[in-house]
Amino acid sequence: MTTIGYSGKDVARGKGAARSRPGGLWYPYLLIAPTMITLVVVSLIPFLYVLYLSLHDVRYGQVRDLAWFANYATLLSDPRFWNSMWVATVFVLIAVPVEFMLGLVGALILNRGVRFRRIVVPFLFIPTMMAPIVVGLLWKIMLAGSWGLISYNLLERFGLFTDASIFASPNAALYALILVDIWQWTPFMMLAFFAGLQSLPVNPYRAAAVDGADPVQTFFRLTLPMLSPLLAVVGLLRLIDAFKVFDTIFLLTGGGPGTSTESPSIFAYKLVFEYWKVGEASALAVLVWLSFFVFCSVFYHVARKRLNAF
Amino acid sequence: MRRPCDVRGNILWAPNPLIVALGVALPWLWPATSQAWSYKEAAAPYAGQSITVLDEVTPLQETMQKLVPQFEEQTSIEVDYQLLNHFEVINRGQADLLSGRGEYDAIMVHSPQMGLLLDAGVLRPIDDLIANAELTSPDLDLDDLIQPSWDTVAKYQDETYGFLTWAYNTVYWARGDLLSHPDEQAAFKAKYGYDLAPAETLQQMRDIAEFFTRKKGDKLAGETLESDFYGILLEGIKGGTTWWTVWNSFVRNWGGDIFDENGSPSVDRPENVAAIEFWGDLWQFGPPGMAEASLIDVPTLMGQGVTAQALAWSDFGLGIDRDGASPYAGKFVYAPSPANADYDGPRSAEVEPSILIIAGSSDAPEATYLFLQWLADRSTQLALAEQLGAGVPNRYSLFEAPAYKGSRFAPLYAAMRGSLEYGEAKPRVPQIYQINDALAGLVQQVGLGQLSAEEAMRQGQQEVLSICDRCTLGE
Repeated sequence: MTTIGYSGKDVARGKGAARSRPGGLWYPYLLIAPTMITLVVVSLIPFLYVLYLSLHDVRYGQVRDLAWFANYATLLSDPRFWNSMWVATVFVLIAVPVEFMLGLVGALILNRGVRFRRIVVPFLFIPTMMAPIVVGLLWKIMLAGSWGLISYNLLERFGLFTDASIFASPNAALYALILVDIWQWTPFMMLAFFAGLQSLPVNPYRAAAVDGADPVQTFFRLTLPMLSPLLAVVGLLRLIDAFKVFDTIFLLTGGGPGTSTESPSIFAYKLVFEYWKVGEASALAVLVWLSFFVFCSVFYHVARKRLNAF
Repeated sequence: MRRPCDVRGNILWAPNPLIVALGVALPWLWPATSQAWSYKEAAAPYAGQSITVLDEVTPLQETMQKLVPQFEEQTSIEVDYQLLNHFEVINRGQADLLSGRGEYDAIMVHSPQMGLLLDAGVLRPIDDLIANAELTSPDLDLDDLIQPSWDTVAKYQDETYGFLTWAYNTVYWARGDLLSHPDEQAAFKAKYGYDLAPAETLQQMRDIAEFFTRKKGDKLAGETLESDFYGILLEGIKGGTTWWTVWNSFVRNWGGDIFDENGSPSVDRPENVAAIEFWGDLWQFGPPGMAEASLIDVPTLMGQGVTAQALAWSDFGLGIDRDGASPYAGKFVYAPSPANADYDGPRSAEVEPSILIIAGSSDAPEATYLFLQWLADRSTQLALAEQLGAGVPNRYSLFEAPAYKGSRFAPLYAAMRGSLEYGEAKPRVPQIYQINDALAGLVQQVGLGQLSAEEAMRQGQQEVLSICDRCTLGE
């Protein structure tokens, strides 16, 4: 736990105070009980049900015999599953770092003082505020083959994509989706980092100025370490969210051309709603969760030790 | 016959011959007049019941929604007639049927869905209801429903599951102003040796596509083009109805199919390869964005004058070929889906007959049946056409009705009738959507030039075999 600004005495004072709190030791648990019950009902129970479905033969939505790990075996031997994981991995590995860097740069610029910041910031945040379907339709119009705003007025004039549209080219389609994600979520990162920068204490900066530190040194020796817990948390949340991407892919490519943009979410959607393979779809959900559980555990451990996060 | 007489032989009473005749005839006439079938009387035992119906939202159903109160008035059966888009009506409808939740009494079902739903056993046959004289109008005239659409979508193993309500079909659609332009006609005749006209064969369609594919700056019907113009537009998006159209408008017109007589995958046949090659070759005459063109984009772009011809779902023509909807309204020509000039076998066209089925979980099957009958009834369909000013006939007799024959859409209706003559519903394959997904992706790559037709069909065979080795439900 981050204890910047608090001494050990303060923490001890907090511990000692618990014994004299009304309700005793059970009081904190009582206070968080409604939240925990809600989490159990809306998160844990559905997850356990998905786990249950993944271990059974589910035919046309009807749960039949126990199948143990047959659904997992089918999925793990399906090239389409591995393709979807690869698509999501490429998506995350490109989109999230770019959003991170652009968001951090933007936040630093905003933090230095921008004129009319109170007007500029809400405008910058518009892409993040837009409903996913609006984002999808907007970019479908902008990048539509032969008549899209960008594809016709910009790209074709320079002789790019004259034979096939962006969304019809397997590589270009995935990069276009990554571009859309960067466009939509960079403002979120920017705003989160900006809020973090605004909350940093000024005294260290004053001391650094007195010691003659230049801006680069200040950034790497002061800003980045103090901001690192926030960067870690926001980066992790964005990574998880990007891996689960569904709406823009569904609207723009449907997972095509072929399966070049078929993320695990899109694949799971098809398994359930088009093929009625609920057992396999549940197994896919569990495998994705498991992957993230392992990743987040490692990330948590590293971030806690190296970045003082969490 | 001796008339009754008194003792003196005077005739006491002589029956009037007219009264006698009437007396003999009346028992025969009386049942006809007092027992004439009506929805009101048929629905009497079910008056006050409520049913929920799920249908697809298109202008046809939106107009039908306005007529539903007439049924409610006649029968006192309350109908909650809900409309959802194509994908939602499939997803939600199937989820309701397969879960047995029973939110809907009747659900619109497209022919590809029938395999899965029949395999799951969630549909209620209506043969007993059809046979019930109290519930079925003697004027229903089931022979009038368009064939083979009705038989292939609604019947399985001697059981019937619904009436043909919506007979969706694809037609050939072209710019009549271009085809009839004297300069274009002369140039076409000089190049190809026959008259320029709406294509009757796929080969003619290809020639027209090649002829009208022009670059910015070229002439088109005497005008200089300000942007590229394309000879044909086909649906090319993965999913949608791309594969259905390729399968039924091309593959089967080459004598091919993706299942053999035993229902096993047979994707990599030479006929299939030849058909896919032909279809893929057409892409060079289409716009760059054809791989993203959905069944909605095709008529939309056709209406915007991007291309000379298309294969499109005919009901869209009713919406696009109107003043205010397209600058080329009134200039389109229509024809049945073209045949293959090099194939003498049975002709095929892509159609999508759709029925409303009664859910197995429905607790008001009789009331629901009356509503489905009313939907498919000739008078209701005529009222629909009159209200909308257009329609997609589900009965042969409707094509002769003034609302259709005298309509400005008469050429389109004639084209519909031609396509419907050769179109069949999809086979009963529970995994058909998964197969559609696989093959649509492969043929899209053929169109984009990323895969040869032969390789695509070879991969298709592998993929379909991995889905099922005996795909069709047994008859």
